[in-house]
Amino acid sequence: MNAPVRRRRRRLPLNVLLGLGLATIVVAVAVLAPVIAPFDPMRMAAGPRLAAPSLAHLFGTDEFGRDLFSRVVRGAHLSLGIGLAAVVAGLAVGGLIGLVAAFAGRLVEAVLLRVIDLLYSFPDTLIALALVAFLGPGLVNATIAIAVSLVPFYARVAYSLAVAERAKPYVEAARLAGIGSGRLVRVHVMPNIGQSLIVMATLGFSSAILSAAGLSFLGLGVQPPSPEWGAILASGRNYITKAPWILIFPGLAICMTVLAFNLLGDSLRDLADPRRTAPQRAGA
Amino acid sequence: MREKVAAQPPDEGGGTRGLPLTRPSGTLSRKGRGGPPSRPRRQTDVETWVAGMITLIARRIATAFMTILAVVVLSGLLVHVVPGDPVTAMMAQSVTASPEVMAEMRSQLGLDLPVWQQVARYAGGVLTGDLGTTIRGNEPVARLLLERLPNTFILAASGLGVALVLGVPLGFIAAINRGRLADTAVMIIAVLGVSIPGFWLGLAMIQIFSLKLGWFPVAGTNARNLVLPALTLGLIYCALVARMTRSALIEILAEDYIRTARARGLREREVLLVHALKPALISIVTVVGLVFAYLMGGQVIIENVFSWNGIGRLAIQAMLQRDYPMIQGFIVVFATSVVVVSMSLDILYGILDPRMRQR
Repeated sequence: MNAPVRRRRRRLPLNVLLGLGLATIVVAVAVLAPVIAPFDPMRMAAGPRLAAPSLAHLFGTDEFGRDLFSRVVRGAHLSLGIGLAAVVAGLAVGGLIGLVAAFAGRLVEAVLLRVIDLLYSFPDTLIALALVAFLGPGLVNATIAIAVSLVPFYARVAYSLAVAERAKPYVEAARLAGIGSGRLVRVHVMPNIGQSLIVMATLGFSSAILSAAGLSFLGLGVQPPSPEWGAILASGRNYITKAPWILIFPGLAICMTVLAFNLLGDSLRDLADPRRTAPQRAGA
Repeated sequence: MREKVAAQPPDEGGGTRGLPLTRPSGTLSRKGRGGPPSRPRRQTDVETWVAGMITLIARRIATAFMTILAVVVLSGLLVHVVPGDPVTAMMAQSVTASPEVMAEMRSQLGLDLPVWQQVARYAGGVLTGDLGTTIRGNEPVARLLLERLPNTFILAASGLGVALVLGVPLGFIAAINRGRLADTAVMIIAVLGVSIPGFWLGLAMIQIFSLKLGWFPVAGTNARNLVLPALTLGLIYCALVARMTRSALIEILAEDYIRTARARGLREREVLLVHALKPALISIVTVVGLVFAYLMGGQVIIENVFSWNGIGRLAIQAMLQRDYPMIQGFIVVFATSVVVVSMSLDILYGILDPRMRQR
C-alpha cells in the first residue's frame, strides 16, 4: 500500500534533486576555488610537464607543468562568473525590452517585436560570435557579447509573460484606478512574472556557459593563460595523444556544469508550470 | 540554447542550450497562411488552393527579403560598435601601418562618410553582389565565401540528415513508450545532447576514430573527412530533434481521431503507422528549419575543429585577424542561407498540410 504513494512523491523531485545537487557542487567549487585548488593555476612547473593524473596532481599537468586540477577548479570560477554576469545583464535588458513592448502602446510593441523576432531567428552562437568579432576578444567583451546574444530570448519570454498578465482583471483595475504604465509594471506586474522570469534565466545560464567555452576555444573569448575551460581545451588540442587528460577534465567540467543547470532549469520550469507537467511527465 | 515562447508547443525540450521551439513570425509562423478571402465568383477548390499558395509564397518571399535587408543594414552598422577606430584595430598587427596607409584604407572602406551613407553604400553593394574586398589579400569577399559555401552546405545537410535519422526514431520510441524506461533513456540522451559542447565531442571523435583507430583522416575537406564532423553535428542535434518529435507525437496521440482509430479496433501498429505518422512528419517539417539554423550556428565551431573548409572556418580566421569586410560578408551570407532554408521549409509545410487545401 505504501509503495506506490512513496514512489509518486519521489518521482517528481528526482530531476530537481539531481540538478540541484550537481549545481550546488559546481557553485561550491567555483566559490571555494582559491581554497580547493592546491596550486596557483598560473604557476608553471608546479610539477613535471604533461604528467599523467596522480595523487600529487589529480588531473595531471599541462604542457607548462601547471596543475590541471587547480586550473579546472579556477575555471569554474571564471565560467560561472561569465555566465552569471551575462545572464543578469541579458535578463535586465531583455526583460526591460519585453515589458516595454507589452505596455508601451501598439506602435512600440510592433516595432520592438519585429526587431526581437529578427534577432531571435538566428542562433545565439552566431550573434555572440558576430559581436565579439567586432568588439575584439577578451573576458569582458565575450561576456558582453554573450549577454547581448541572450537578450532576444529574455525579451521574448518577458513579453509573452507580460502579455498574459496584461489581460488579467487586476491590471485593468489598476489602470482604471489611474495608475500609469511605469508604476503598473513595477508594482503590480513584476512581482507576478518575476518567478517565471528567474526560472527562464536558469536556462539561459547553461547556454551562456557553453557559448563562453566555445568562444574561448576559438580564441575569441577569454585568452590564455587564463584557466578558462574552453581556452584550456584549445591549447590542449596539440597534446591530444600525448596528454589526453588536458582535454578530458575541462570538457567533463563543462558537461557537468551545463547538465546541472539544464536539469535545474527544466525541472524548475515544470514545477513552475504544472499545466505542462501534469499530462506529460506522469512517471517520466 | 533557448525555447521559443510564442505559440509554444507542449514540449519540455529545447530550453536547454536556449533553442527556440517556435519561430518568430518572420520565419516560420503560421500567420497569414490561409487562402484569400472567398470571392463572389465561383472557384474550384484547386483554384482556391493555388491562389492561397501563391499568396503564401509571395508573403514568405517578401518577409525573407525584408529580413535579409535588415541583416545587411545591421552588419553594416556593426563596424560602428567597434570601440575606437576600426582601421587602427585592423592594422594593430601590421608593421606597414603608416598614417597615410591608414587614411587611404579609411577612405577605401568609406569610413570617412557619414554612417547612413556607409550603410547605404554597403547595402547597395550587397544587392549587386559586391561584398567588398578582404583587408588581408585584397580579394573579393563574395567570391571567397561563395567558393566555400557548397562545403558548408554539404556538411550542414549531412549533419541534419544524421540528426533526423537518429532523432526522429528516438522521439517516436520515447513518445510510444511514454513514462517507461525507453522514454526515460531517450530523454537522458536528449539532455546529454544539449549539455555536451560540440567541439569537445568533435575532439573526442578525432582522438578515437582518427588517431587511435585510424579510420578517418584528422582534417581536410573531402568525402572521407565528412564522416566525423557530420556525425558530431548529428549526435549533438539529434537530441533536439528527438525532443521535438516526441512532443509532436505525444500531442498527436492525444487527438480524437487516434482514439477513434483505436476504438475501431485497429492494431496499434496500424494506428501509429497509418494515422499518426503522417501528421507527425508534417509537424517535424516545421521544426527542421529551426534545427537547421541552430546546426549552422554550431557548425561554425565544428568546421574549425575538423579544419573543414567551409564559411565557418573562413569566418573565424577573419575574426581572429579582424578582417571586417569578410566578417560582415559572412554574417550576410550565413543569415541569407538560414532565411532561405526556413522560407523554403515554410512553403513546403504550406503545401504538405492538408488543412491548407481546405481553406
